[in-house]
Order: sequence, then structure tokens, then C-alpha cells
Amino acid sequence: MSQKDEPAGNGEHPVSVLLYGWMRGAGFQKKLVLVLMAIGLAAVVLEVLLSSKPVRDPGSIPGFQAFFGFIAFGGAVLSGWPLGRFLRRREDYYERPDRNTPP
Amino acid sequence: MTIERIADILANTNPGFFILAAAMFMPFARGHVVRALLMVGGPVMGLVALINADGLGIDLSVATVFGIDLVLYRPDSLSFVFGLAFMIAAAICGVYSLHRRDPLQDTSAMVYAGAAVSAVFVGDLVSLFIAWELTAVASVFQVLARRSPESVRAAVRYLVFQVLSGMLLLAGICMFAAATGETRFAFIAPTLAGLPVGVMNIEAPGAVLILAGLGIKAAFPMVHSWLQDAYPRTTETGAVVLSAFTTKLAVYALARCFAGLDWLIWIGAVMTVFPVFFAVIENDLRKVLAYSLNNQVGFMVCAVGIGTQLAVNGAAAHAFAHIMYKALLFMSMGAVLYRTGTTRATDLGGLHRTMPWTTLFCLIGAASISAIPLFSGFVAKSMVMSASHADPGLFMVWIMLLFASAGVLEHSGIKIPFFAFFGHDSGRRPQEAPFNMLLAMGIAAGLCILVGLSPGWLYRFLPYEQAAREYLASELWTVSHVLQQVQLLAFAALAFVLLYRRRLYPPERPGVILDADWLWRRGCPRFLRHLSGPAGALIAPVRRQAGGALTGIGWVGRSVFSADGWVSRKFPLSATAISSLAILGLVLIAAVLA
Repeated sequence: MSQKDEPAGNGEHPVSVLLYGWMRGAGFQKKLVLVLMAIGLAAVVLEVLLSSKPVRDPGSIPGFQAFFGFIAFGGAVLSGWPLGRFLRRREDYYERPDRNTPP
Repeated sequence: MTIERIADILANTNPGFFILAAAMFMPFARGHVVRALLMVGGPVMGLVALINADGLGIDLSVATVFGIDLVLYRPDSLSFVFGLAFMIAAAICGVYSLHRRDPLQDTSAMVYAGAAVSAVFVGDLVSLFIAWELTAVASVFQVLARRSPESVRAAVRYLVFQVLSGMLLLAGICMFAAATGETRFAFIAPTLAGLPVGVMNIEAPGAVLILAGLGIKAAFPMVHSWLQDAYPRTTETGAVVLSAFTTKLAVYALARCFAGLDWLIWIGAVMTVFPVFFAVIENDLRKVLAYSLNNQVGFMVCAVGIGTQLAVNGAAAHAFAHIMYKALLFMSMGAVLYRTGTTRATDLGGLHRTMPWTTLFCLIGAASISAIPLFSGFVAKSMVMSASHADPGLFMVWIMLLFASAGVLEHSGIKIPFFAFFGHDSGRRPQEAPFNMLLAMGIAAGLCILVGLSPGWLYRFLPYEQAAREYLASELWTVSHVLQQVQLLAFAALAFVLLYRRRLYPPERPGVILDADWLWRRGCPRFLRHLSGPAGALIAPVRRQAGGALTGIGWVGRSVFSADGWVSRKFPLSATAISSLAILGLVLIAAVLA
């Protein structure tokens, strides 16, 4: 491992400003929400208008993947709260002697 | 040696042998140029040999050892795409490793790559087993290479799984060969459209053991934790090397032996889903990638289980694309580890300011694995999704794969780049990765984009080329297909932004996440100790009755095997020679009588 950290605030790479500088504005997150909603809704509308495939199961209904993507992603992320509480242990959990084991 | 002779050797030698030959010189390579020539030259020689192969679907090299015919080289369209991916990955790993000289890592990485390439081009079960074991042994040194107590312990656990996999495979092969008398893939069973794919019947003797051996290496559910245990404890280069070969070799072997086996559909579907939940709460980003690897291999296993031409094409294409983008993601995290000493999300953030190129390559890997149209994951995973959606009986499986696709976007598409390079500013300002690392990442990123923009290039090499061409012409770029994928990704990304803004995204926290390995690291010892009390009480009367006999046996054992026991004493050389001859004579007499 090479420790070559420099003090915070110094040494920003010029390419970084060029590539990612536009993300640093105050309203970036709000704009991102709007852009994602616009892209997603446009894709749903276009699918309704252009799709010629017959509906043979719920997965074929226009807009199903938009709905499913939102719910699945949200569900997976929110499951992290209870799962984290249930499954997370201290970092040295496996290195310490097991207190629940009888002598 | 004439040019014709060299051309003949190139055309009829397993490409993996060239990498193994280069590996033999690695411990003695001193200068950077010689190392570079060997680490990149070996795989390139293998590629040249593969391109010049004397034909597909015929035995190009056969050796007879102890009366067993070993088909050392039999390339076909299934092995071609896996071998191609392995050799490109080996060359990229070589470039990525040039910044540091560690003969142990360099040599074991090349032996590992050479063995994996050899494995996909052999034409029988015995040769596959030999190469399989060589990959296991060589890969352990990748885990050991960090030389920390944690990595040594992880390497031992890793070795246990690899040895268990090899033993099951060997036992299965022995049973199968004894019952059928055949080990060559081309002669075991009827083929799928002219290709020896899915050649084994699960009801054949030993087939279940072979499946279990392959399943351990593919990290099937409940035997998957060796992957998350070992990969994050390797060096920055070790994880890249490991991510490319082991599990994909298992996918290849599953396709070769068990394509069309229904069990694999559900095993694969479960594999795609459960890692999503673990990846959400995992703090170590290389461990997140290990869960992601599990999830992606699930897509391939599921496709192998479906077993149609489209599905087998999907498994092969996904394996190729996955090797590139997963190596790219592991390389970007390796660069972060190399520069900062950590890959914990809690300790990272804001690295894009000083590592912009690494960030860019990581984003390309993230876009590819998330299957964004025009990136490699889209053109590969689409075939698996289409193959599952085409069968109305697999609707639930398709839903599981769709859920997993949203999950992939969460853990690999967003979590990895966001928490390492953006997110909260950790205040760290490390230097950009060394040039060789950037070059390797650039090559892998270029391949991800090339395959995404021009999938015909990859589809040409798939096992069933005609089916791939038809899919490319009639389904891949249809409006509804592209729009559906855009919907899934846009709304899943929207969910992330909304949850993050409202502080509903679970915060990263340090800690160990309990997984299946808890069972043997904590559960089994607890169970055995609880059992030892009642078991001791049950045995006590027997022990009292048999006390005298047990004491006698103990005395004999100590007299023979203790440090100053009978077998430890020094004997005159002549006595040793005479006893050795006597044993040899007895063996010979037994052999003659038999």
C-alpha cells in the first residue's frame, strides 16, 4: 500500500473538474430527480405508444418494469435497516472467543 | 525448427500450456521488460494458438497416461468464448500487476490463468479434473499473498472449500467412469445441436457428486461464503485475478455437463437474489463486489439450467462480459486500496477529485454491470432475461431475475462508485493510480464499450452463432426491449436518489455481516460443545467397562507413534532398505496374484 495522501482541499486533478465539476452545483440532486423522472416517464409513454407486443403476463404490461424497478430497488434498500440490526457484529467478532459456547 | 513445425505446434497445443510455460520463467524474471513480456506474452501466445487452431470440435492433442486417453486439446464454440475471455483477462491482469514485483503472486497468477485456460480446452473429465485442481492450488497463493494473519486464515478456509470441491469432483468422475467406461465429453451423451453441451444425466452414477463439486466452485447458495471471505482479503491485484477465473470455469463446466438441468434454474435464481440484501448492508466495497459476483454468476447458472440455445448463448456472453466489467470494478477498487489502504465505505468518499480516471473507469464498469443500453452488460444479460421470459412456466424466475437486475444497479451500479468516489468527502486526497493500472482499466473499459456498441463482435463467438445472430437481428435492439430496460434503470435510480435525500438509505457502518460461514465458524463449534456433555455422559459407562482394553490400546499407540516411540527410532540403513524391499516384494506378489 502506498500512503501518498495530501492535505484536504489541495491537489484536485484538472480532469476531475472537467469531468465531474458539473455535479457540484447546489441544486444537482433536485435536477437529477427531475431528469430521471423525465427519462423514466418518457420511456413508459413511448412504450405505451410504440409497443406492439401482446400482453401475455403482468411483465408484458407497458410500464411494468418502471413500477417494478422502483419498488424492487426501494424494497432492497429499506430491507437494509432491519437486516443490518440483525446481522451486523463487531469487526473482531470471529477473532474473539465465543461467549455463548459452554466451556 | 522449421516454420511449418512451429505452426503445427501452435495449431495443436492447448493455449493454456503457453501461459503455464511462461509461468515457469516468472520466478526468475528480474527486469520490468522481461516480466511484462512473460505476463502479457503468455496469454497473447495462447490467443495466437487459439486463432490458428486446426479446427473446432475435433481432438487436436491426445495423450495416453496409465491407459487413460486424455484429450488435451479439443476446442469448440463453447470453450472458444470462455478461453478467449480468460486469455484477455490474463493479459489485462498482467498489465495491472506490473507496478509491483512479487514472484509468488506473479507466478501463481499465471499458473492459475494457464490452468483455467487449459481446463476449458480439454476434452475429457479426467483432464478437466487435473486442470481444475491446479487452479485451486494456484489460486490459494493469491489469497496468501497479502501475508497478513487474516489472509492466512482466509486462505486456509478457502483451501478447504477448493479441496472439498476437487474431492467431490474426483469421486464423481471415478463413479461415472467406472459405470459408463467413458470420460470424453464428445462421447458421453447426445449433443445439443451438434455441440457437446449438457452431456451428463443427473441420474448417472456419480453425476450428483460432480454437480456438487462444480457447485462449490460456482459458489452455490450456502457454499458461497468462501468467495466473500477470501476475495476481499487479497492484495489489490489478487482480487482481480481471482474474480476472472474460478467461478466462470465452474459455469463453463456446468454448461458442458449439466445444461438443461432444471435444478440449476432455481439455484441460479436464488443466487441472483440473496446477495442483493447482503450487499446493501456490507461496508467493505470489495466484499460488496464479491456479493455482486455471486449475483452475476447466478444469472449464468440460471441460463445454463434453462438450457436452450439462446440461454446457453446468454450464459457464455454474460460470462465474457462479466469477466471484463467485474475485473474493471475490482481493478478500480484495487487502485483505491493501493492508494488509500482501505476499501471501507465509511473511510472513503470524494476520491473523484484526485483519482478522476479511476472514477471514470469505475463508472464504465458500473454502467456495464447495470446493463445500461450501449454497455456490455445489456447485450449479454438480455439473452438470459429473454430466455427466461420466453417460457411461461418460468415467470417467477423471470421476476426474480428482474429483482436481481434492480439489485445489481443498487450495489454495483450506484453503491460502489458513489461511496468510494462521491458521497461524503472523506478529506482523502490520494494520487491517481499508477499508469499500468490505468492502462489495464482503460483496456477493460474499452472492451465493455466495444461489446455494448457492437455486440455482433461478441455474438460471432457464441456457442450457437446462428441463434445469436437471430437474436441480434430480431430482439436485442427492439424499441420495447430498450425502453423496458431504461424504465427499470431510471426508476430504480430515482428510488436511490429519493431514499438518499430523505435519509432513508441505511448508513454505512463498520462491522462484520453474518453469513452462511457463521454456521461452521460459530454454529458448529457451539453445537459440538453442547453435544459433548450428554455424549460424554452416555459414553461414561462404556468407557468404565472397556477401561482396561482402552488403556492397553492407548499404551500400544503411544509406544508406536509418540515422539520417542517405535516408528521414531533410528534404524540402520540396511534394515530400512531390507524392509522397503520386503514391502515392495509383497506389493509385487499381490499384484501378480491379482
